[in-house]
Amino acid sequence: MPSRKSEFPIFETARKEGRPLIFLDNASTTQKPQCVIDAISGFYAGYYANVGRGLYWPATAASSSYDHAREKVRSFIGASSKKEVIFTSGTTDAVNKVVNSFLLPQLEEGDEVLVSEMEHHSNFVPWQQACELKGAQLKVIPLDAELNLDLSKLTSMLTDKVKVLAVTAISNTLGVKNDLKSIINLAHQHNIKVFVDAAQLPLSEKIDVQNMNCDFLAFSGHKVFGPTGIGVLYGKQALLQNISPLAYGGGMVQKVNIDKTIMADLPSKHEAGTPNIAGAIGLAAAINFINSVGVEEIGRHSAELRKYAVKRLSEIEGLTLFAKDAKSTAILSFTMKGIHPHDIAAFLAEKGIAVRAGHHCTHPLMHKLDIGGTVRVSFNIYNSTEEVDLLKNTLDEIKSFFL
Amino acid sequence: MNDRLKALYKTQILVHAKSPFNEGVLEDFTHKLQAYNPVCGDQFDLYLKFEDDIIQNTSFKGYGCAISKASTSVLTKHLLGKTKSEAKALIELFLKVIDPENNESPESITSDEELLAFASAREFPERLTCANLAWEKLKEVL
Repeated sequence: MPSRKSEFPIFETARKEGRPLIFLDNASTTQKPQCVIDAISGFYAGYYANVGRGLYWPATAASSSYDHAREKVRSFIGASSKKEVIFTSGTTDAVNKVVNSFLLPQLEEGDEVLVSEMEHHSNFVPWQQACELKGAQLKVIPLDAELNLDLSKLTSMLTDKVKVLAVTAISNTLGVKNDLKSIINLAHQHNIKVFVDAAQLPLSEKIDVQNMNCDFLAFSGHKVFGPTGIGVLYGKQALLQNISPLAYGGGMVQKVNIDKTIMADLPSKHEAGTPNIAGAIGLAAAINFINSVGVEEIGRHSAELRKYAVKRLSEIEGLTLFAKDAKSTAILSFTMKGIHPHDIAAFLAEKGIAVRAGHHCTHPLMHKLDIGGTVRVSFNIYNSTEEVDLLKNTLDEIKSFFL
Repeated sequence: MNDRLKALYKTQILVHAKSPFNEGVLEDFTHKLQAYNPVCGDQFDLYLKFEDDIIQNTSFKGYGCAISKASTSVLTKHLLGKTKSEAKALIELFLKVIDPENNESPESITSDEELLAFASAREFPERLTCANLAWEKLKEVL
């Protein structure tokens, strides 16, 4: 794969600051290529106005770009219609909105909601709180010894009581990828709707919502080279049509009378207020960038780095890798005997190596593993095997300092 | 390895992190409190035994990085034999030692090497909550 690192200005800035930035925290967020930055500033500087209302230039240009961004996303995730693409502020926002508009109105005492033991808090807490509110039960799909979802246990949990199954595509802590097609197929046999947290998925493999057959799917722009504050909620058209608006306000109505309001059609119905126009335009530029490299290429590069990291870090005695055989993902977690993850991260930071240490917003998983936290490295197209080597050598130094 | 960070982790801190003072559960405690940092998940239970307004015994148990563990260990050690008001004064003094906003040199505040070991935390604002975790919790309770 041709290196695209030079297109990310932060790496140039870091060099000017005196040390290169080795950014291994891509599961948390990704750096921005110049084309995304240019698209956002180009909108603000060149044709800024609100969308949907103005009959004047630049409002027409802004509306058109916002609409193109939606089409760009539709094609990126393989949705059949733009009506199925709702812009949100991010994955967390999407989960909360689906809980509020889809789950809560139908959830009753005695009902059940399924989540997995590897969920990020954002795909756990909103479902948990809804269950608590309605006297329903949140059930947790356990992991097997290899830290994969235990599908045999899942089968027995699928009953008519279950209203929603919410599951992540890829564990943000372990890098384990779930067999979504099988899970969704099983759930649908019991008429259970499935929400997919795809926050870590878009740079791992090409998303095809129709083939996956999920009912809802969400991801965040900032994890795919786009800006913060923009995300996507995909929903099957019939579902989005039937549920009440995700939020109420301007822009999502057809007609407002004192006694009744008629809602707008999809997708406007679910996007109240002035949307994050610059965010959508930045996300569209990010998708252009991804397409110019190829999702498969990005996924393969990161997965190869993970594989290489597994090999190199395995050389360190006392270092434990989690889910080390997980395939085709960019995320790898480890611990070192006798050294707290934060101490490791602090020393790596002194070498310019940015990693994440701690619980990664997955307390239930940490309890299952009976650890307080891990060090997590996560790769992207601007990372290299040389950086993995430096990581390995620095870990050796840290070990000899502490032990 | 970087010297600036090594200074933070100097011998005193590593000694306390590796062989903490009074680690474990104190059976006959009179006061128990929990210091928890939700951002990183570090958590320590502190056990104090007050007798005639004097802290006769202490211990702690929990999970945290070298800085937070060592600082909790040093706290429990320095509390021994102190009255409540002496303990308060000790905490104030320690918080001054690690306060990045404080212009006084740490050495002018105390000559105690175990407390001074944490002065380098002034250079690492992101680690301040590690150094003061147990201290701030006890301050809140006293």
